[in-house]
Amino acid sequence: MSFAPRPSVQPWARVNKSRKSQIFLASVLPLTLSALIVFFTGLDQNLALVGVFLPLQLVAASLVGFLAFGRRGVGDSFLIVLVVFLSTFVLVLLVSVVASLVSQGAKAFSWTFLSQNNIYVSNTTSLDFGGVGHAVIGTLMIVGLTTIVTVPLGLAMAVYLTQSQSKTKGLVRTLTQAISGLPSVVAGLFIMSLALTLGWERSGLLGSMALLPLMLPTVARVAEEALRLVPVDLRYAALALGAPNYRAFFQVILPAAKSGLVTAILLGVARIIGETAPLLLTVPINNGTSWNIFSGNMMTLPAYIYGYLASVFEPSQNRAWGAALVLMILVALLFGATRLLSRSKSLKSKPTKQKASK
Amino acid sequence: MNSLTKASTLSSENISVWFGQRQVLSDVNLVFPANKVTALIGPSGCGKSTFIRTLNRMHELIPGAGLAGSVYLDGEDIYGEEFDAVSVRIKIGMVFQKPNPFPTMTIRDNILSGLRLSGRKIESADEVVETSLRRASIWNEVKDRLNDQAISLSGGQQQRLCIARSLAMNPQVLLMDEPCSALDPGSTRRIEETIKELSSSMTIVIVTHNMQQAQRVSDQTAFFLADDNTPGGVVEFGATEQIFNGPIDQRTNDYVNGHFG
Amino acid sequence: MGKLQGMSEASVTNSAPVRRKLSAGPLSRGDKWFFRTASIAANFAFVLVALILIFLFIQALPAITSQGLPFIYGTEWNNSKDPIVMQIGPMIWGSVLVGALGVVFATPLAISLSYLIVFMLPSRSAKAATTLVDLLAALPSVILGLWGLFVFTPVAAQWSSLLNSYVGWFPLFQVSTADNGFLGSPFIAGWIVAIMIVPIITSITREVFSQLDRDLINGALALGGSRLSVFRRVIFPTSSGAVVGGVLLGLGRALGETVAIFYVLQLSFDFNWAQILEPKGGAVASMILSKFGEASEEEVSGLIAAGLVLFILTLGINFLASVIVNRAQPWRKI
Repeated sequence: MSFAPRPSVQPWARVNKSRKSQIFLASVLPLTLSALIVFFTGLDQNLALVGVFLPLQLVAASLVGFLAFGRRGVGDSFLIVLVVFLSTFVLVLLVSVVASLVSQGAKAFSWTFLSQNNIYVSNTTSLDFGGVGHAVIGTLMIVGLTTIVTVPLGLAMAVYLTQSQSKTKGLVRTLTQAISGLPSVVAGLFIMSLALTLGWERSGLLGSMALLPLMLPTVARVAEEALRLVPVDLRYAALALGAPNYRAFFQVILPAAKSGLVTAILLGVARIIGETAPLLLTVPINNGTSWNIFSGNMMTLPAYIYGYLASVFEPSQNRAWGAALVLMILVALLFGATRLLSRSKSLKSKPTKQKASK
Repeated sequence: MNSLTKASTLSSENISVWFGQRQVLSDVNLVFPANKVTALIGPSGCGKSTFIRTLNRMHELIPGAGLAGSVYLDGEDIYGEEFDAVSVRIKIGMVFQKPNPFPTMTIRDNILSGLRLSGRKIESADEVVETSLRRASIWNEVKDRLNDQAISLSGGQQQRLCIARSLAMNPQVLLMDEPCSALDPGSTRRIEETIKELSSSMTIVIVTHNMQQAQRVSDQTAFFLADDNTPGGVVEFGATEQIFNGPIDQRTNDYVNGHFG
Repeated sequence: MGKLQGMSEASVTNSAPVRRKLSAGPLSRGDKWFFRTASIAANFAFVLVALILIFLFIQALPAITSQGLPFIYGTEWNNSKDPIVMQIGPMIWGSVLVGALGVVFATPLAISLSYLIVFMLPSRSAKAATTLVDLLAALPSVILGLWGLFVFTPVAAQWSSLLNSYVGWFPLFQVSTADNGFLGSPFIAGWIVAIMIVPIITSITREVFSQLDRDLINGALALGGSRLSVFRRVIFPTSSGAVVGGVLLGLGRALGETVAIFYVLQLSFDFNWAQILEPKGGAVASMILSKFGEASEEEVSGLIAAGLVLFILTLGINFLASVIVNRAQPWRKI
C-alpha cells in the first residue's frame, strides 16, 4: 500500500499545521494540567473542575481563537467552550442516571424477578424469590385503560384544533398546554376527592382516571402537530371532490398522519407509565397479582419502586433498582418505537419530495 | 368520447369577496357557457384564484372569508338554501396548482377516492378507472401499474392523475387553478391537449399566468386587475381572440402585450 | 367609488354589497357529528379544569373553614392539638425556592443545549442530541428520585460543603451547622428539579432558535461579529420572550414535582427563606405525599386544600407561560 496523497475533497477544511497543533494543545493541555494539579496537590476534584479546568480551558481556547481570528475569535471560543461544557454536564447527568440504573438494576434482574409476585417476600428476603410480575401486570392494565379512553379524546381535541374553524381554538390550545403542567399529585388528589365525594372505593380504575389528565395534553398536542404536518392541499383536494369533512379526515388525513399519531400515543404512554404520586393516592398497593382493575388492591411499578426505595435493607434497595430498570426498559421501548416510526416516515417522504420538485 | 353528463352553464353575479375586513374582489359578473373553455388571466394578487374558488364553494374554507353576490349553475344559486357545499363540489370539480394526489393511496384508489369520499356506491370500478384515466389521457402510461403508489408518478403524471380523479366524479364543470404552473413544458402541452378534448363534454374554467396558454386553450378570456389597495375586478371579458388581438381597455392591451404583470 | 371607473364589465353598484352568510347550506349529518364530537372533546379541557377545582374545593372545604387564612402563611402542622392545626406557609415558600433554584440551574443548561443543537452540531448529531434530551424528558420522576437519593445526593453534598467553605460568607450559602452533612437541602432538590425541567425549556428554546432568520445570523457573522456578540445582540433579544415562556413552563412543572424530590429534601415547617444548603426545606407536593399515609380524615381535607393551593398556583403560572409561548411562536397560530 502506498500513501499517494489523495486530493482533498474539502479544500476549505484544510487547516495549517501550526494551527492544528495550537488547537490540539488547547484541547489537551487544560485537562492534563488540572489532572496533575489534582494529583499532586490533592485538590478536591469537583473544585478543580470549576476552579482550575474551566478557567484554563476558557483561557486556552480564547488564546487560540485570538491567534486565528483576532478579537472575534475570543468571543467565538468563549461561547463554544461554555456551551460545550454545560451541554456535556447535562450529558454526564443523563449517562449517570442510565448507568446506575443498569449497573444497580442488573443485580436484581432475572426471570424470577420479572415473573414472580411479592407474596411471602419480606424486607430481607433474598432476590431468589419474588419480583415485579404483579406490578408489571398492574401498570400495563392501568396504563392500558387510560390509553383506551385518552387516545380518542386527545385525537378529537387535535381534530378540533386543526380541522374546525372555531374561534376558541387558541384558548383551547393554551389551556391544553397549561394542563400539561398539572402537578401529578393534584391529579391524584382530584380523583381521590371525586371518590370521597361520591363514596367510591379506591381501585385500579381510580388510578386510570387519575392518569387521564396527565396523558391527555401530551396526546392532544403531539397529535395536533402530526395532523398539522399533513399538507392542507390534501384536505382541499378531498373536499373539492365532494367529501364531507369527516370522510376527508378519516380517508385522507388520518392515513397520511398515521405514524405521527402513533407517536402521539406512544409519547402519551411514556408520559404516564412512570407516574407515581397519583397512583399512590388512588390505588391501594398489593403484594399479590390482581387482574381486577375495577376493585381491590393492585400493584404498579412506580408504587413498587416507591415502596422499596427508602428501605435500609440491601435486598429491598436492589428490588427498587431492579424495578426501576424494568420501568426504564418499558420507557425505552416506547421511545425506540417512536424513533423507528419517525425514521420510516422520513424515508418514505424523501422520494416524494424529489418527484414533486421535478 | 362518451359524454356522460351534460355540460352546464355557470355564471357569477355581482361576486364580491372579503378576507376579514379586507375586500379583495368587487362585483365580478361572468358567464361560462356550456362546453366552452374560459381563461382567467391577470397579474398576481388580482383575485383570480380567489374568484375561481368561489365557483365551487372552496372559498368558504378559509377562515374569515366573506362573500356577496351569487353563482348560478344552470340558473340555480349554488349558495342558496337548497344546495350544500358538498353537492356543489360534486358537480363542479377542481384541479389545483400543485399536483396533490393522495399519497397513501394507489393510482387506482386515487381515481376511486372521489366516489368513496362522497359516499357513493361504486358499481363498475374498473370501468370508472379506465374511462377516467383515458379521458385525462394518462391511461397508456399507468395501465400496468394501477396498484403502484400515486406518488411514484412524475409531477406531470400526478397532475393528470388529479384531473382523472376529478373526472371520475363526472363533473359538469371543471375548475383549474393554474394547473400547469408547477410543470415542465412537455407535461403542460399534454394537459392543454386534454383540456381541449374535455371541453366537448364539460364547461371548463382555467386560471393561468401563461398568456400563450390562455390563447391556445380558451374560447373566451376574462382579464382581472387590482389597483393598489383596491379590490380586484374584471377589466375586460370577451372572446379570447378579441382580448388578445383587439382589446378595448388600454390596461388589457398593456397586460397582454407584456408591458406589466 | 372611483376605483371602479373604467371597468367595463363590472357594473358600478349602488352601495356596499350585502355580505352573505357562508356555509349556510346544511352540513351533512356525518359532518355535524364529526365537529360536534371534536368540540365536545375540546371543551373537555375546560370541564376538566372546572371539575378539578370543584371536587378539590368540596373536599378541602372543612379544612379551609377550620383553618382560615393562616393555612397559607402559618408555620405549624400539628395533629395532636385540638382543634388540629394545619398551616403550609413554609411548604409554599419551599416549593417556590426549590422551583426558583431549579430554574436558575436549568436555564443556562437548556440555552447551551439549544445553541449546541441548533447552531453548532451537524444535522445528524443534532438529531441524536435532541433524542437524548427527549430521553431525559421521558425519565420517570420516581427513577430520578431513586438516583437522586443514592447517586446524586453524595456528590451534591460534596459540592455543598465546598460552596459553604469557600463562599460561605455569602448569606445564601450559610448553614447553622455543618454536622448534618449537607443532605436534604433545597440546593439538592433544586438540582433534581433542574434535571426534570431542562428538557422542557430546551424544547421551547430550540424551536425558537431554529425559527430565527439564518440570513440575519450569517449576516451578522459575516460582518465580523463573534458568536458571542451575535448571541447577545441578535439571538437572545429576538428569542428571549419565548425563552421566558419556556422558563415559566419549567417553573410550573418544578412547583408540582412530587416524588423526585420526596427523598432528597428534608421537610420542615419552619421557614427557610434562602439558606439553600441547610437541610431544611419545603415542597407542597412532597408534603402531601409524606403526610398522606397516616392522615386522619381532617388531615386529608387539609392535604386536599394544600393540593388546591398548588393547583391554582401552577395553573396560573402555566397559563401565563402558555400565553407567552404561543405569542412568541406566531408560526404556530394557524
